[in-house]
Amino acid sequence: MKNDKRDILLHLYGESESESDLRTLLRNPDLKEEYTALSEAKFRLDLRKRERPDAAVMNTIMAAARTGIEPSGMYSRVDRGPIARGSRLRKVLVPALSFAAVVLFSVGVGLFSVDWSSDQRIPLAESAVNDLVPPESLYRFVPPHRDAVSPSTSQDSELEWDDRTTLSSVNDRLNSLKPSDLLDWGESAVPLESLPNSNRPGFQTVGSIRK
Amino acid sequence: MVNARTYKRITESTTASMLPADEDLVLQYVEHGDEKAFRILVDRHQERVFGYLLGMVRDREVANDLFQETFLKVISALSKKRASYTVQGKFLGWVLRIARNGALDHLRARKKWKDVSSSQTEDEVDYWDRLPDESPLIDTMIHRSEQSELLKDCINALPEEQREVLLLRHEADMTFREIADLTGCSINTALGRMRYALINLRRQLMAQHSKDLTEVAE
Repeated sequence: MKNDKRDILLHLYGESESESDLRTLLRNPDLKEEYTALSEAKFRLDLRKRERPDAAVMNTIMAAARTGIEPSGMYSRVDRGPIARGSRLRKVLVPALSFAAVVLFSVGVGLFSVDWSSDQRIPLAESAVNDLVPPESLYRFVPPHRDAVSPSTSQDSELEWDDRTTLSSVNDRLNSLKPSDLLDWGESAVPLESLPNSNRPGFQTVGSIRK
Repeated sequence: MVNARTYKRITESTTASMLPADEDLVLQYVEHGDEKAFRILVDRHQERVFGYLLGMVRDREVANDLFQETFLKVISALSKKRASYTVQGKFLGWVLRIARNGALDHLRARKKWKDVSSSQTEDEVDYWDRLPDESPLIDTMIHRSEQSELLKDCINALPEEQREVLLLRHEADMTFREIADLTGCSINTALGRMRYALINLRRQLMAQHSKDLTEVAE
């Protein structure tokens, strides 16, 4: 389309952005004839009555707007997909989803049933040290205030399996290691926990408690 | 010359500054569930969207269905805050895009049905693909007492592309640039289609007028 005819149309619809003046364009007889013809048709179109949708349609839309949900069975047009396709799809999907849900549930229950207690998460190095001496014979929990603690010196409180001779031998061993804070290079290594000045809040060697 | 419709548009544009913008109403509905805000939106644009749909499908029942479907999709999208509508975008343009997709789906389905039912050979030119300057329907058009009905028939007889641009300009009040964006063509193509639509419309009206005069003379 020639630019002049394009401008004529844009002028007719009030959308012209170009500088070309309509009067200048209409000096051309052909353009003037075209403009008149287009104006006639446009005039007829402008007089046309506006159409509105049915009230029932508007009510349905507003009901949906209220709930924000599409009413079921709303789409009733003929060119919609067949219902049978949906049911066939459902036949396959429902069992598959059910099976997936059961598997997920089983896995979830299995994970929760695993015992995640702290002793399984002891670092390997520490557990290796503890292998040297039975941990229960070396440690005992001691609260921060020593006075409040009543050391289990009485015979009744001792367990039957708690062999006193073993404890004594361990105690003797610890005593022999006491000056080990003066250890020098090249001397044999000792467990860190057996050193008298080891700083472990709340824990002390059994030997030191018995003293 | 200022006719009633032009006057209505001028009045609308003058009072537009006092009315809440489409985007504000959308926000009001989405953020606060303000049903009244949505009602204003639908009331404001119902004629534009419905007029376009009716002109496209040429069947009131189908146009009603498509109109309802369009706004239900709008509600669904706004409720789920889908990304297809952005606050910065133009609400009417977005709604018309949804409406247009629905209308084209319907027309394609109808065309398919027509192709199957009719015995048209491949060599024959399909109605949807040809761009005639004059429609043969004008010859078969019966006498109409109401000018609006006559005009409607003339519009319906226009080729699809021309009719769509005419409807988007006159029913939906879109600018030629907006029409070009919506239909995916250049502004020159949109203007060209509009020009032919007006020329063909005038020819049809004149032909009908002369036919009426002949009948009266006989």
